[in-house]
Amino acid sequence: METLVQQVVNAVSLGGVYAMLALGLAIVFSIVRLINFAHGEVMTFGGYGVFLALAFGAPPLAALATGVGAAVAMALALERAAFRAMRGADVVTLLITSFAVSEILKVLFQNGISARPVPISLPQSWSGTWRLGELTIGVAPTVSIFVTLAAFAGLTLILRRTTVGVAMRAAAEDLEMLQLLGVRANRVVATAFALSGLLAGVAAVIWTAQRGSVDPMMGFFPVLKAFIATVLGGLGSLGGAVLGGFAVGFLEVMAQAFLPPALAPYRDAVVLAAVIAALLARPDGLLPARRGERS
Amino acid sequence: MAEGAAAATGFPDRGAAPLASLPGRVRASNAARTAVCLALALAAAAALTLLFGRYGERIAVQMCVNVAAVVALGAFCGNTGIVSFGHGAFMLIGAYLSGLLTMPAALQRTALPELPALLAGWELSVWAAAPAVALAGLAFAAASGGAIARLAGASATIATLGLLIIVHGVALGAREVTRGSQTFFGVPRATDLAVALGAALLFIVVARAFRESRWGLFARAARDDAAAAEALGVDPRRTRFVAWCVSGTMATLAGALYGHMLGAFSPASFFLPLVFAQVAMMIVGGMTTVSGAVAGVLVATLLQDAVRQAEGGFTLLGVDVPAVFGLTTVALGLAILLVIWRRPRGLTGGRELGPGPGARLFAGLAASVEPAPPPARAVAAALEAQGLSRSFEGVAAVADVGFSAPTGAVTGLIGPNGAGKTTLVNLLTRAYDADAGAARFGGADLLAAPRTGVARLGVARTFQNLRLFGGLTVFENVLTAALAAGRPRARAEAIALRELAAFDLGALADIRAEALPYGARKRLEIARCLAQEPAMILLDEPAAGMNPAETDDLAARLTRVQAERGVGLLLIDHDLRFVNRLSSRIVVMNRGRVIAEGAPETVRADPAVVEAYIGRGRTASHAKLHTPDQTEGETT
Repeated sequence: METLVQQVVNAVSLGGVYAMLALGLAIVFSIVRLINFAHGEVMTFGGYGVFLALAFGAPPLAALATGVGAAVAMALALERAAFRAMRGADVVTLLITSFAVSEILKVLFQNGISARPVPISLPQSWSGTWRLGELTIGVAPTVSIFVTLAAFAGLTLILRRTTVGVAMRAAAEDLEMLQLLGVRANRVVATAFALSGLLAGVAAVIWTAQRGSVDPMMGFFPVLKAFIATVLGGLGSLGGAVLGGFAVGFLEVMAQAFLPPALAPYRDAVVLAAVIAALLARPDGLLPARRGERS
Repeated sequence: MAEGAAAATGFPDRGAAPLASLPGRVRASNAARTAVCLALALAAAAALTLLFGRYGERIAVQMCVNVAAVVALGAFCGNTGIVSFGHGAFMLIGAYLSGLLTMPAALQRTALPELPALLAGWELSVWAAAPAVALAGLAFAAASGGAIARLAGASATIATLGLLIIVHGVALGAREVTRGSQTFFGVPRATDLAVALGAALLFIVVARAFRESRWGLFARAARDDAAAAEALGVDPRRTRFVAWCVSGTMATLAGALYGHMLGAFSPASFFLPLVFAQVAMMIVGGMTTVSGAVAGVLVATLLQDAVRQAEGGFTLLGVDVPAVFGLTTVALGLAILLVIWRRPRGLTGGRELGPGPGARLFAGLAASVEPAPPPARAVAAALEAQGLSRSFEGVAAVADVGFSAPTGAVTGLIGPNGAGKTTLVNLLTRAYDADAGAARFGGADLLAAPRTGVARLGVARTFQNLRLFGGLTVFENVLTAALAAGRPRARAEAIALRELAAFDLGALADIRAEALPYGARKRLEIARCLAQEPAMILLDEPAAGMNPAETDDLAARLTRVQAERGVGLLLIDHDLRFVNRLSSRIVVMNRGRVIAEGAPETVRADPAVVEAYIGRGRTASHAKLHTPDQTEGETT
């Protein structure tokens, strides 16, 4: 019983990170049709933001805020420097562009900061546990669940209630028409990137706080999972991305906990194979994005 | 008009060579383009070896292995339009399997003591191992292709990435077979320049042949427009599956080649850095063509080698530049960005290098096929619908529609915008599933047919929003349709020529469809449809956007085709004058229902029809739908 509850907490926590990353990918994809391979580097940069702030003696909470800010700044910089010039190109072109940007950034991190993991030391109490009746539950996963929920609530408010949110939803339908209506497309797209950077930053902070180090590949693997999550959920569908993220996180934690030891090295392969099997049944994903295409 | 159409399009009249020699010229051009690819690879390998000796030879071997791998990659990506990151998985399988089958047995016993007996102690030659490697690649491609081929576009790309991660993970985990993340060594270094070059040239020939084959054409057609391909009876999933199997088998062999070049490797050798480099080469050269793959490898090899010199640090004008690891990756990345920015279709611009069918070189070729005679007259049958219904989120787009359209006649289908005409066509051709009702053509149940099976039943369609295979030439568009109808190549070519001539597209035959002007696109879509020799054609607004002269020309052509072949036409259009002129019967729809049916004169006088178009009241009572001048206003 206790293991099960702990595993569920872990699954929701990890799923939340994947869901945030997947949602960031989906927001950008729905508007500019970009599958952002460099999203992992945005997250990594957020982690380095935390590291550098701590290195300069910032208090832990300020360091975490710096990390989130660094990810937002990186996302905006990438949009301005690399992706704006390519806007309107087809999906493959954009995907390859971001792939190239991602590879370049990894090399820059390796040479500019360090190819090895750099440590992040946060207060001891953060990695502690708390008790709920008979159960012992980790503080970090619990906090991360609340942070994730807060991030989703905030994002839903922005998308539903603010002008820029409505403009973003409209841009997802038809960016060109939105421009003709006099809305500044650049601002809408930049906002989308900023939001995706914000989510990646929050994910980076949760990730580094739990793992205690940053390396050039830090963002790469979780973002790979997030890619899988967006496809599982239905590419371009925001709700699908969140659902897919939680599903992948859940599968992964459960595989980790309950796979027989002989199969343990194949955990990722098993999880991915399960996702691909799900896609066989639903090629458009669990919650497909709506498309208004006439023949 | 017929003569003037080509000139009026603004294209130079390139019809100097007779249309009848086109298939021969296409074959000659294809052979010449293959030769150009071969010559490129051969010249680069020769230049490297002759200019730089041993060092150059090493680079040449690596380049040839890359040519083989990237050409294999392009066989899938270029023909289906899906970028694959999964080919590293095939290469890994090829390298490890070939390594296991060929390594010395004594070495194998010490390095891999727990190797399953099935794989142990073969000690084959590289050549004897190759068929087993190819078979394993094919088997793996068939197994994984079942999943990958179901997905399209970006989802498929991410699924291939998933495949790479799965295989990488399994290779790391299966220590008994692969030594896990440790180096797998003892693989005979059998890939010398002769082997590598031979493989590269062979792969080029295979990839070129596949690209121009029936399946290559189908795959490229489905890449450009999946819905149109389905309407012709081409199943996009199957084309992706075939391309995946061909490409995967080739990539597995390329992996073996790579393994025998390295001699020692680990799963990381086939992971993202390799995949990135190969995808980059393909994109830089141009993804859709074999010459693009070859050119991309040549350019990237030169670039990588130049940069590698600088990677370990150097002294420039007395300043020490420190070593930068991964500089080649940065260089490739920047090359991709630059190429995508300046030439989105790659250095080769999306065209196979070499002379096209219209080149002067081939002008003297004799006609190789006689244009096909008109097909046998369509047998008497009727397209019949009963109680056909379909709702979208509660809105009944088509409600309880019943009508009949016989072959040998033109049946008009008119109605205001939103009446449900296109939805009806989509139901009849299985693009949408009907909620209720029945639809038959002749004796066949249309609604029981799969989406790609409607064409086989003799029912063809055109699309309201043009759906051409933009990356294929005009000739290839029509040829694909004829091949999809199950005709053998020579017969299909003859049929394609006949339809091109009938719709005055001969002079445009080797132009890509995406470059055509609007009127020619409309004609091409009908020509493509006719190449399947259907008995019933559903024409969804064929005259939309045409000027009156073009509409008249189209009407004359449709009348001629209809009279000659006895096909049935279901003609949807808003140009009532056009519909009235051609149709012997007219069906009128409004708000999803049939509101009138009968001879044109009867329908025009029907008060319900007048009301649907003009509304009620004094204006309506004065309106006379049958006067052409007033119906002009309805054409918008």
